[in-house]
Amino acid sequence: MRHKTFIAAGLALFVITASFAQRGRRSYVDEEDNPAVMPADAGEKTEYAFARLRYPSGGRRSYWGGGSWAIDYPKADRQFVQGVRRLTRLHTRSVEQVVDIDGEEIYNWPWLYAVEVGNWSLNDAQAKKLRDYLLRGGFLMTDDFHGTYEWDSFMASMSRVFPDRQVVEIDSKDPIFHLLYDLDNRVQVPGIVTFGSGVTYERDGIVPHWRGIYDDKGRVVVAICFNQDNGDAWEWADHPRYPENMASQAYRVGINYIVYSMTH
Amino acid sequence: MFEFLFKYPSSVFSKGDFVMLAPLPLWTLAVAVIAAAAFLAWHMNRNRGLLRGARPAAIWVLQTALVALVLFLLWHPAISIATLRPQQNIIAVLVDDSRSMATKDGAGGTKTRLEEAVGVLNHGVIDRVGERFQVRLYRFGKAVERIGKPAELTAAGGASRIGDSLKQAMAEASTLPLGAVVLLSDGADNSGGIDLETIAAIRQKRIPVHAVGFGKEKFDRDVEIDEVILPARTLADSRLNAQVTLRQNGYEKRKARLSVREGNKVLATSEVTLKSDGAPQTETLLFNAGMVGARTFQVSVDPLDGEQNTANNALSRLVSVESVKPRVLYFDGEPQWEFKFIRRAIEEDRSLGLVTMIRMTQNKIYRQGVDKPKELEDGFPTKADELFAYQALVFGSVEANYFTTAQQELIREFANRRGGGVIFLGGRATLGDGGYLRSPLAEMLPVQIPDKKGTFHREEASAELTPVGRESLICRLEERPEKNAERWKKMPVMADYQEVGDPKPGAVVLLETFAPGRRKLPLLAIQNYGRGRTAVFATSGSWRWQMQQPLSDKTHEMFWQQFLRWAIADTPGRVHASTPRPVLSDETSVKLRAEVRDKNFKMVPSAKVEARIVGPEGTSAVVEMNPVPDQDGVYAGEWAAEKPGSYVAEVVALQDKEETRDAIAFRREDGVAENFHTGQNRELLEKLAESTGGRYYTPAEASTLADRISYSEAGLTVRDTKDLWDMPIVFFLALLLRSGEWVLRRKWGVV
Repeated sequence: MRHKTFIAAGLALFVITASFAQRGRRSYVDEEDNPAVMPADAGEKTEYAFARLRYPSGGRRSYWGGGSWAIDYPKADRQFVQGVRRLTRLHTRSVEQVVDIDGEEIYNWPWLYAVEVGNWSLNDAQAKKLRDYLLRGGFLMTDDFHGTYEWDSFMASMSRVFPDRQVVEIDSKDPIFHLLYDLDNRVQVPGIVTFGSGVTYERDGIVPHWRGIYDDKGRVVVAICFNQDNGDAWEWADHPRYPENMASQAYRVGINYIVYSMTH
Repeated sequence: MFEFLFKYPSSVFSKGDFVMLAPLPLWTLAVAVIAAAAFLAWHMNRNRGLLRGARPAAIWVLQTALVALVLFLLWHPAISIATLRPQQNIIAVLVDDSRSMATKDGAGGTKTRLEEAVGVLNHGVIDRVGERFQVRLYRFGKAVERIGKPAELTAAGGASRIGDSLKQAMAEASTLPLGAVVLLSDGADNSGGIDLETIAAIRQKRIPVHAVGFGKEKFDRDVEIDEVILPARTLADSRLNAQVTLRQNGYEKRKARLSVREGNKVLATSEVTLKSDGAPQTETLLFNAGMVGARTFQVSVDPLDGEQNTANNALSRLVSVESVKPRVLYFDGEPQWEFKFIRRAIEEDRSLGLVTMIRMTQNKIYRQGVDKPKELEDGFPTKADELFAYQALVFGSVEANYFTTAQQELIREFANRRGGGVIFLGGRATLGDGGYLRSPLAEMLPVQIPDKKGTFHREEASAELTPVGRESLICRLEERPEKNAERWKKMPVMADYQEVGDPKPGAVVLLETFAPGRRKLPLLAIQNYGRGRTAVFATSGSWRWQMQQPLSDKTHEMFWQQFLRWAIADTPGRVHASTPRPVLSDETSVKLRAEVRDKNFKMVPSAKVEARIVGPEGTSAVVEMNPVPDQDGVYAGEWAAEKPGSYVAEVVALQDKEETRDAIAFRREDGVAENFHTGQNRELLEKLAESTGGRYYTPAEASTLADRISYSEAGLTVRDTKDLWDMPIVFFLALLLRSGEWVLRRKWGVV
């Protein structure tokens, strides 16, 4: 009984601390998929913050009960930005920013990350807003969806965002793969669900794709990481058994996408 | 009246020398006056009678003055003056024969100016002056021509060039005894006045110019475009700000419509309220310069009802819209959103080339927009010729000591010597936080830099237009100033701002920033620096103007395009050609000037420079341009544009087997100049007469000219002595003194 009281008090303290650190940001503690330590400098105002898009996902929920937008959240985000801080000159916040697609806050964060978009379900207003955001100058990185079913599900919403634009494979010569790191030789980055099995794909998503949607000026505005799970690579990069080369690639892809969005 | 009292015209007194003709020295007059005064004092003291107090002194003063006057006359005062020898001198009579002399506002509106001038010639000048001197009659417009009689005057000349005409007339008569010049004109000179050189030449020869002015000094009801100022050159698709000066009479507080046209196409209009009569009024009109080529823009004001002269309602200006694509080098010390959005804004501008360098990591600089793979491969330029190949520089969040001292000096020289524009943006590693205060770069900033860290704040702040900013093309998002000001008030907040100090002398602040709880700070300040210009835009958060406004809104793009166009607008190339008058109004002579520099933008005094001119109807010519003495690297040439129309002069400089070039456009227009400044320019005629020793006459006074013209030191002269003792004023003065004494004595009862 004493043991349970101690755990409850600890949890309460964690929630209070996390809430305090999230001042200025809306708290989604209840929807966290994989909680992480709140850094001491979480309140720092920076040029860049890892902005995670909170979207409706038609009933699919994460382990902790949030929508699929929150998969790997916030541990993946906080581990990834440590790499961004260390490897670039970008002034980066140590904690993520959750950006709800229904608010106006989206326009303050020109780079967005959306995970498990095989489950997203955008209504017309949300699709219109996302299109508007992207054409004004925003950038969207999508990740962690696999196989034909999830692709179709992703496109059901994305085709309403951009009814007139094609999704294409991003050529390896595109600056997005060379801007900071040369990423000619990319491998499939697996999710944690296949951990230990030796298999790197999920469902029928055997071949990884780095796809994109370009604007009229030939700039990538949506970078689609399909049949791969960079979020898990960030999340488990600290796990001794997660393959180093895959974690490294995930960091490099993510960083390239960020600096690309800040230069194109 | 003067002549009645003093017997002679005032010019006799102003030109002549005062002399005493009595054989006695002047001191004897003083002794005699003192002696007389003493005697009168003694006499008054002995015979004061009933006079008490100051009264004897008053009587003594009047008596002494009278005696002194008589003694003064006994010493025989006179004026010695040079006068023209009759029948041995020539008087040049120049009559304005330009079209403005056909204006029917002479003699109360019953005659044209020329008719009135001919009347003056026939009844006062030719006949009376001709009795004593030989009269040579000339007519002038653009040039001088000798004529035999006034009937040959037609008032058909295309322009009036008074200064040039005077010079030509004097040159023609240089071997003759020219005693004076009589100028009959309305003073409506189309060459911008009479230059000091011409006046100095006339003064040197001591030839008085007597001017007779014709015509009303101003129309009762008229609106005139006085001047239109436009840049001689610009980039394609640039916004141009035409500064239009107009004057009006008779339409105070009336509304008028200003327009800019190219051909029949109206580019911009503006409704203005006319100010008080005769007062110059400056208005601005914004319009797009359009595509590449020599473009003629006509600025006009719509005719108003009852306007007496509508031919002066429009003026044309030539602007060379250039095909060059200036290149701007933008260096940022770290990834920032501002960088991406500035790049996007400038990408929309086909006339600007943007080359960017951004420091991604400590060891990697990412380049975009380079022409060749090798361009900027070794980092920020270290040599002048490499850096000076750009027309403007933009620095983002980069600390001063990232650059070597030599590079910092090079950046300073980029503006100072090369004449480029340099923009410093805000950021966490720049300005106050970037150690700029203690670097050579501080000197070139238009604002003071606070001596502290922590000046960069990631807090939302608004941008507010200053009164100067309202007039600036950089901040002009709407054509109409009031609408523009409204638009700035609705602008989304910026993501951040940076504290900077007060503007330096000569700098102007176009935008201020205002963060809640803080005082207003300069946000956008600009200044001229050396041959170039510098600016500070103390934020890296203007990207919010793009992300926070609808997709159709072009605020962010417009602001940055206009800002960078300002930075490069006046950046000269290695050859910079110019002409003082891009529009030749009824004249042919075009003066060309070129400054020639090497790759380091140092003057080249030994280049071979020529202007290759092409013009209307297949006109072409090559004009050699020669070095201007005492001005290293400056070359000048002159050419006559014989046909009306547009011309382009390509100035080519050959130095060390390398050719560099620049092009300018000019245009000759005929039959236009005489429509402007048609009121009598009395001020010009008066100044001309006064500065040469002549006199200004109205047509009614011209009959006295014959009597006064002989007082001149030019030509063949003789010294003439004019007695002063018999001037009526002397008699009146004596009478006044004597009667004054009598009146006082009557009043005091001691007669």
